[in-house]
Amino acid sequence: MSYLLRKLGIFVFTLWVAATLNFILPRLVPGDPVSVMLAKYQGRLDPSAVDALKIAYGLNDLGSPVSQYFGYLGNLLRGDFGRSISLFPTPVIDVVMRALPYTLGLVGITTILSFLIGSGLGLYSGWRRGKAGADGVVPVALFLNSMPYFWFGLLLLYIFAFQLKWFPLSGALDPFPGDAYSASWWGSLLRHATLPVLTILVTSVGGWLITMRNNVISVASEDYLAFARAKGLSEGRIINRYVLRNALLPSFTAFGMSLGFVVGGSILTEIVFSYPGLGYYLFQSVTNLDYPLMQALFFFIALAVLVANLAVDLLNLILDPRIREGRA
Amino acid sequence: MTAVIPGAIPIPRRAWKNTSLGRFFRNPRSVFGAGLLLIFVLMGLFAPVLTPYSPSSLEFDAFMPFSAAHPLGTTALGQDILAQFLYGARLTLLVGAVAGLLATFLSVAFGLAAAYFGGWVDEAINTLINVFLVLPGLPLIIVAAAFIRGGGVWPVIVVIGFTGWAFGARVLRSQALALRERDFIAAAAVSGEGPLRIIFVEMLPNMAGLIAANFFGAALYAVLSEAGLSFIGVGDVSLVTWGTMLYWAQAKGALLQGAWWWVALPGLSIALLGTSFALLNFAVDEISNPKLGGGRLKMPRRTQAAPIAAPVAGDALLSIKELSVGYLTPTGVVRAVREVSLDVQPGELLGLAGESGCGKSTLAFAATRLLDPPGAVLGGSVRLAQHDLLALSPEELRKVRWKEFSIVFQASMSVLNPVLKIREQVYDAMQAHGVTDKAKLDARARELFDLVGIQMQYLDAYPHQLSGGMKQRVVIAIALALEPKLIVMDEPTTALDVVVQRQILQEINAVRKRLGISIIFITHDLSLLVEMSDRVAIMYAGEVVELAPAHQLYAHPAHPYTQQLMNSFPPMTGPRTRRSGIPGKPPSLSAEIVGCPFFERCTKRMPGVCDVKPLQTFTVAENQTAACFLYDPTVPSEIKDSAIRSSQTPQPEVSREPAHTIN
Amino acid sequence: MPPNSVPNTLEIVNLRKVFGSKAGGVVAVNDVSFSIARGEVLGLVGESGSGKSTIARLIAHLYSPTGGQIHLSGQPVPHKLGGAALRKFRRHVQMIFQDPYASLNPLHPVRYTLSRPLKIHGLAEKNIDAQIGSLLERVGLAPASTYINKRSFELSGGQRQRVGIARALAASPDLILADEPTSALDVSIRLDVMNLMLDLKDQEGLSMLFITHDLAGARYMSDRIAVLYAGTLVEIGPAIEVIDRPQHPYTQLLKSAAPKPDAGLVPEEIAARGEVPDLKTLPPGCPFEPRCPHAMSECKDGLPKMYGLGNGHTARCILHDPAIVAKRSAVGAGS
Repeated sequence: MSYLLRKLGIFVFTLWVAATLNFILPRLVPGDPVSVMLAKYQGRLDPSAVDALKIAYGLNDLGSPVSQYFGYLGNLLRGDFGRSISLFPTPVIDVVMRALPYTLGLVGITTILSFLIGSGLGLYSGWRRGKAGADGVVPVALFLNSMPYFWFGLLLLYIFAFQLKWFPLSGALDPFPGDAYSASWWGSLLRHATLPVLTILVTSVGGWLITMRNNVISVASEDYLAFARAKGLSEGRIINRYVLRNALLPSFTAFGMSLGFVVGGSILTEIVFSYPGLGYYLFQSVTNLDYPLMQALFFFIALAVLVANLAVDLLNLILDPRIREGRA
Repeated sequence: MTAVIPGAIPIPRRAWKNTSLGRFFRNPRSVFGAGLLLIFVLMGLFAPVLTPYSPSSLEFDAFMPFSAAHPLGTTALGQDILAQFLYGARLTLLVGAVAGLLATFLSVAFGLAAAYFGGWVDEAINTLINVFLVLPGLPLIIVAAAFIRGGGVWPVIVVIGFTGWAFGARVLRSQALALRERDFIAAAAVSGEGPLRIIFVEMLPNMAGLIAANFFGAALYAVLSEAGLSFIGVGDVSLVTWGTMLYWAQAKGALLQGAWWWVALPGLSIALLGTSFALLNFAVDEISNPKLGGGRLKMPRRTQAAPIAAPVAGDALLSIKELSVGYLTPTGVVRAVREVSLDVQPGELLGLAGESGCGKSTLAFAATRLLDPPGAVLGGSVRLAQHDLLALSPEELRKVRWKEFSIVFQASMSVLNPVLKIREQVYDAMQAHGVTDKAKLDARARELFDLVGIQMQYLDAYPHQLSGGMKQRVVIAIALALEPKLIVMDEPTTALDVVVQRQILQEINAVRKRLGISIIFITHDLSLLVEMSDRVAIMYAGEVVELAPAHQLYAHPAHPYTQQLMNSFPPMTGPRTRRSGIPGKPPSLSAEIVGCPFFERCTKRMPGVCDVKPLQTFTVAENQTAACFLYDPTVPSEIKDSAIRSSQTPQPEVSREPAHTIN
Repeated sequence: MPPNSVPNTLEIVNLRKVFGSKAGGVVAVNDVSFSIARGEVLGLVGESGSGKSTIARLIAHLYSPTGGQIHLSGQPVPHKLGGAALRKFRRHVQMIFQDPYASLNPLHPVRYTLSRPLKIHGLAEKNIDAQIGSLLERVGLAPASTYINKRSFELSGGQRQRVGIARALAASPDLILADEPTSALDVSIRLDVMNLMLDLKDQEGLSMLFITHDLAGARYMSDRIAVLYAGTLVEIGPAIEVIDRPQHPYTQLLKSAAPKPDAGLVPEEIAARGEVPDLKTLPPGCPFEPRCPHAMSECKDGLPKMYGLGNGHTARCILHDPAIVAKRSAVGAGS
């Protein structure tokens, strides 16, 4: 179980680093963020919002940076992220909670889907290496993987929403989608999600494909594969129990490691489609200089990625007997 | 015996094609990637030549269509799009290159430091790497960059560089750790080298390929990150990059105005630039990691041997006839097995001995159709019982495998699938051939484990829980599962300690006597083989040079190679006297060999005979044959006698030919 | 040792190495003592995991010992060495590695590999190529000009190992630690490499630790042989005596397991079963007790001492304890 303890330790430690970065970054800025914001809003800010800002940045607090820091961590543990400036006086946590399901639904499900599709194609491409089709997907995958998410999203939006009007231009639901979880509500949700899903899928599937392909090629040269063939096993069994079982393990690890990057990029997709998830609000908070919201959103994105990583580690634990005994 | 293969190209020594640079330029991916990158670099460099306008001047009308003056029209702010696009290449490339370099530098520094110093330094760096890996990069950059507004391109480069190093550091650390365990690092330390020189002269140059691959990966990440940042307006949008072009295009509603190319062009270029980085990354990775490499090679068709009408050669179980096997390399064919004919009788243990590279494993693999490309059977036939093995379709072959013949590999440490229980791996061999009843499977598995001396509880263990000797026993148990008529054992005990080796050999011997199976036993350890085998075949340079019953071979070795090889083992008893090995080394198998392949190293060579006549096999005694002209009745006995006499006097050092390795 | 005689090139006393933490540590080398005289070859025999390579790396200062002393030509070597002192030490102790494919940096030509020890130890002369040339010729790579610009992948296995030997010779050391120098080589070239090492020893008065798992090779090369089992020295003595008349049951087992083509065509049945135990779960007494055909209850009482058998031959087995011998013969007579 030391494996799990270790992973939990890294989880807590990384979360702490994310929180601390959140605390330090604003304090590295020359001048103070409050005056920057005051300048931007040019007196249009509610005086109580100014107070909230000052509290958020400890500008009212005459204590040492250390006591400010512990106060900040305490607030974090209580789930108190202060109040949003641009949506004043909504508490930041409310904005986050409203946005979270959309991001989990869109980015979460699509990322898993993309991993499965990409790994499947990678298995094909690696196993049938040397055939034109299997090798030909490689440059295509590299190209798709190099496209900026938001750019591809823009093109889809232009063609399918603006020109062809097949899909809505923005948002997650129609203004009046009907009762929650009714058929028309689901229809509206899916229609709005189609283009963002397509964007994330197309631009991230290539990476998983390449990863899986390389793993399959590595496994294909292992001695246990030659032995399996010598035993006269059927190809289906070889692929399933020998190639896939072994090639998936490093793929899972790669999945966990790239998650931060992939989720980070996927979140930008929300901006293009004005999809009201964490990424969209992150963009809003950046343009509105809503620092408290920005920080909370970063913290929650990090938390989501970390939880996903922990899940991957657990999966590895189940699938790899060597890890189960603390050998790997 | 040595026929020339049509189309075989001699392998030039140290061919340029075999260098890393040569492979780089022959790899279509790297050529395409480098070409694409070159185009973008030239675009940026020659921007002032290609367009008369400044990218930032606002002197034109907004949204002008295509025209001769403005081939790509103008922006909403009245800038020339072509000028923006060309000049934009400069900063975009700069960000990619510099941020990529910065990230790579950090990766190398952290990766090397962790691997070299080890201990708590490694622990600390590894934790840091893990933290940076899982922290979502882009949101972190957004948040960081939001606090560092304006200030040109450098803050963006620094932020991207500092958030993008972790992935590379992880890869480089593990490679450096592997390098550190290599003996040449220990050897340098023993020579007295200091740590700096070990890191920078011994380790770092060996990581060049990975570092280059890592740089292209980091540059790809940097270009995409810059585009993303610019697009959402973080960073300095007054600069002209492809990312800021997209920002302005989006902000000014380019698509709504129908100026789709204002969006399409910079985005497509980012994707293509990214593709070029990714292709270079992929290609460099492929070149420096031979496992991933390997292009397509055209497999030659096997030259059809004379059709075998009926089961051949009396009552032989396995009959190999004039089998030729080669390895196809980009520079020609390495002929590893040269028209070898060999029979195995039912119940016989045939030993196959020879030095590394003599073709003994290749022969066994080709005969059982387990040879992987680039290995290929070039001619001959193999018959096992009633099957023409080389003519079987894949499905027919699958059915024959394991049922009729099984194989015990050399590298038994790694032939068991690490993630499946032993039980499943014992079962699936039987299940693939029709045994599906659970009770039968279990009973048979227990029987087999009992036969090779392993406790039943290990049926439910994973391979890593077994010692090397136990793993080898499991593999032998699996090989016996369907009671095949023939088992090919390729150095089955070489990796094991002497005591365990002896125990397993005893078990093999007992089992084969009990079940009456035939075994082809391959090893380089001739003394072991003489003890074990019924008959021994000695291979040299792809040919069987001597074949005799084991006791006959030991008492009266006929071929000079066998004689010299026997003399190469220091004795366990008797007085200690100086013995000599066999100087020189086997000839290159990629060239045509005229006459006897052992000629160069032979103490009894007959110039004018052995290096001229085509090699033939002669009968020496009953059941003993040797491919040596000393037994050629047509060679005058004076020549033979003088050759044998001169072998008593020391031979001059023979010329040493350049090394040639097959793998 | 008489006070005026030449001190032993190497003397190790109770050398100990524990890997890992103190609680879950593995004792890889368990209080091993032996010496190597000037011009002597000591063969160190054992199976994988017996600690033979670890001992070489401890003496070469690639690892630092957990306990015990190492004396080089009578001078104690501190457990912690660094900087100039370590460099000076390296001049006297050199190593030849098992796998010549792995022990030469594939990127460096022979000239670089051989020039480094000369330069590091301040031995380089103006014409360093001539120095390297004579080194190459000493190890049988003549003419030197053929080899000096080659990199390891252009050489055959035997040639590579000769370069490895030349590298070890470059600094004119007193002691060479040869860690299975022939086991990665083809049979036909092993003898020539062994002969080369014997010639060099004779010509230069080198002392040598020859590590191997091959009893016949150890017998061919060594003046004396030491046998290791699970980190413990179990037998040491004159080479011919140890191989021809082994006195420890483990050495006897090793001998019976070695191939003997002349002993008939049926493999000899060997007495002991089982495999080398996991170093983490060693029994408290004699480490060989669980596999030993002569095991008795006294074997579990503690690690036996080394019993002298005359002629410098000692074995760590209570079968050589006079009290046990007497008791056994009494039991034998009584039954």
